[in-house]
Amino acid sequence: MEEDDDDDDDDNSLFPTTEPIIPLIPFDLFPICPFGCQCYVRVVHCSDLGLTSIPRNIPPDTRMIDLQNNKIKEVKENDLQGLISLYALALNNNKISKIHPKAFQPTKKLRRLYLSHNQLTEIPTNLPKTLAELRIHANKVKKIHKDAFKGMTSLHVLEMSANPLDNDGIEPGAFEGVNIYHIRIAEAKLTSIPKELPSSLLELHLDDNKITAIELEDFNRYKDLQRLGLGNNKIKDVENGSFANIPSIREIHLEKNKLKKVPPGLPQLKYLQVVFLHSNHIAKLGVNDFCPTGGRKKKALYSGISLFNNPVKYWEVQPSTFRCILARNSVQLGNFLN
Amino acid sequence: MRLALLFVLLLPACLAKPFHQQGLFDFMLEDEGSADMPPTDDPVISGFGPVCPFRCQCHLRVVQCSDLGLEKVPRDLPPDTTLLDLQNNKITEIKEGDFKNLKNLHALILVNNKISKISPLAFAPLKKLERLYLSKNNLKELPENMPKSLQEIRAHENEISKLRKAVFNGLNQVIVLELGTNPIKSSGIENGAFQGMKRLSYIRIADTNITSIPKGLPPSLTELHLDGNKISKIDAEGLSGLTNLAKLGLSFNSISSVENGSLNNVPHLRELHLNNNELVRVPGGLGEHKYIQVVYLHNNKIASVGINDFCPLGYNTKKASYSGPLIASALGIKESSFKAVRDKTHCKDDFKLPTHLSVTD
Repeated sequence: MEEDDDDDDDDNSLFPTTEPIIPLIPFDLFPICPFGCQCYVRVVHCSDLGLTSIPRNIPPDTRMIDLQNNKIKEVKENDLQGLISLYALALNNNKISKIHPKAFQPTKKLRRLYLSHNQLTEIPTNLPKTLAELRIHANKVKKIHKDAFKGMTSLHVLEMSANPLDNDGIEPGAFEGVNIYHIRIAEAKLTSIPKELPSSLLELHLDDNKITAIELEDFNRYKDLQRLGLGNNKIKDVENGSFANIPSIREIHLEKNKLKKVPPGLPQLKYLQVVFLHSNHIAKLGVNDFCPTGGRKKKALYSGISLFNNPVKYWEVQPSTFRCILARNSVQLGNFLN
Repeated sequence: MRLALLFVLLLPACLAKPFHQQGLFDFMLEDEGSADMPPTDDPVISGFGPVCPFRCQCHLRVVQCSDLGLEKVPRDLPPDTTLLDLQNNKITEIKEGDFKNLKNLHALILVNNKISKISPLAFAPLKKLERLYLSKNNLKELPENMPKSLQEIRAHENEISKLRKAVFNGLNQVIVLELGTNPIKSSGIENGAFQGMKRLSYIRIADTNITSIPKGLPPSLTELHLDGNKISKIDAEGLSGLTNLAKLGLSFNSISSVENGSLNNVPHLRELHLNNNELVRVPGGLGEHKYIQVVYLHNNKIASVGINDFCPLGYNTKKASYSGPLIASALGIKESSFKAVRDKTHCKDDFKLPTHLSVTD
């Protein structure tokens, strides 16, 4: 794990478990806190207050501000002034359509930014370079500009599902130089697997899109991929050799697509443990569709293969098709949900 | 022979390290805890075992599963999880076994789901739960048998109409209770419902249908937020015993009178919000109040302000001076009447226009 030397505080958790201090100190010394909010152990809770703007008088040593479920329309230039210790900012479920390009400038340690369920039409410019997690689910983002993530070398998690983003909305080079491990762009308008996402990806989730095929070069960059989610798309074909680019893959979800056969190349994936193929149009299973032949061995047995809701005739399936599974109940063939 | 076969069968499983995500929440330098999945003596034999649920992110005991369209709580959550975030999903019900094994859970976030039912035994395993966020669901009542370890309960925007004593029984660690935007009526609050919560410091019952200040609030309370209700008057009894109260929010009600002596019951009050009500005069007792610093009275029906309404007679006995906005805009008030106040009161030093006293129409 990488060193993080830009923050040497002892309690970095989102919700410090230290006991909150009840202010029984003399009332003249009552700590400042916006009316209706609670401020303790450097966490400021201001959710559900109907606020229309970010409140003033937030204690300057605050590490986390919870402003979710309010009516904030805008993050203004000076809203975060002086909050140099801020580490997490939850602005989800507001009406934010505008973020001032200098709004985040005062923050020097911001790691988590939650902007889900707002009205943003693009990834805000000048996001703090310190961010490790960005959530911008259910906004109106159509475009990721070339410089959107520029210099954000610590960004590890990007969740931007439920936005009207299509493949052309991702400008070439937008992800250059970033090391994201987990990306989710589900419920969007993608028609193919984006090819220019960071090569550091361990998890890629693109469920609920309009992807029609998996092509040979799709995974060229994503050599370390371990989990792949492509459920609920329109995938008909998986080109031969596509999966050979992701030898570390452990989990592939291809349920609710239009596959007519088991995708090629699964037996060569030594670490593959989970394959979801239910609710497709698979009519036939080959005896070598899942397990390697000859002396080759899997490094991990299958713990979950789902095939229910396919027109396959189960009585025709050869038992040895599943010779490399962990236990009998690792395969779900019948038309039932476990 | 049998043994050999078993060995061959198990070998690949042993070579395969248990799946875990890495590199995610590195920044949660929480500590000593290993980032690896806990050792499992019951490996993946039944289903997929306790791995990070697909599409969730798990790192350093935080399990983040928000915005996934989940219809139920994922199974096989890592047993050392301390924070479980399930907000913005489509969960309709919390079932008995949903949180089994999660005996280290500190915070459970269930905000913005469709939960209408919680099994009475669902929370039983959560012996260390401190924060329970249930806001934006379809609950008709708070669940019984909430963990005694809870310090914070949020159930904003549900369909709660009743608050029974039995629900809060034994919850003597609770510090924050937020119940805003629920169809709560005064008659639905059982007598002494909150009395057992000996540490309760903050309570918010805003935007409900209550018509009076709930009775039997614990004396530990420092903040009481009751804005956006249908309260029509403040009587002295409503605030009796609240000797630690520092902040009182009563804006956006229909309060037309504040009974004399009410404010004597809250001797440590620092901030009073009574804006957007039906008051015709400045509440009595502010002048003698020692600690009050912020008073909101704008958008009322106050037509005139007396010289001694805010500041004490005689020598200045206030222990704290007015600070922040003392907004007293009311139809009919002229700035000149405040000038009179300013010039003739003994706390005038702390009483300056325009920073401390704002008058707007």
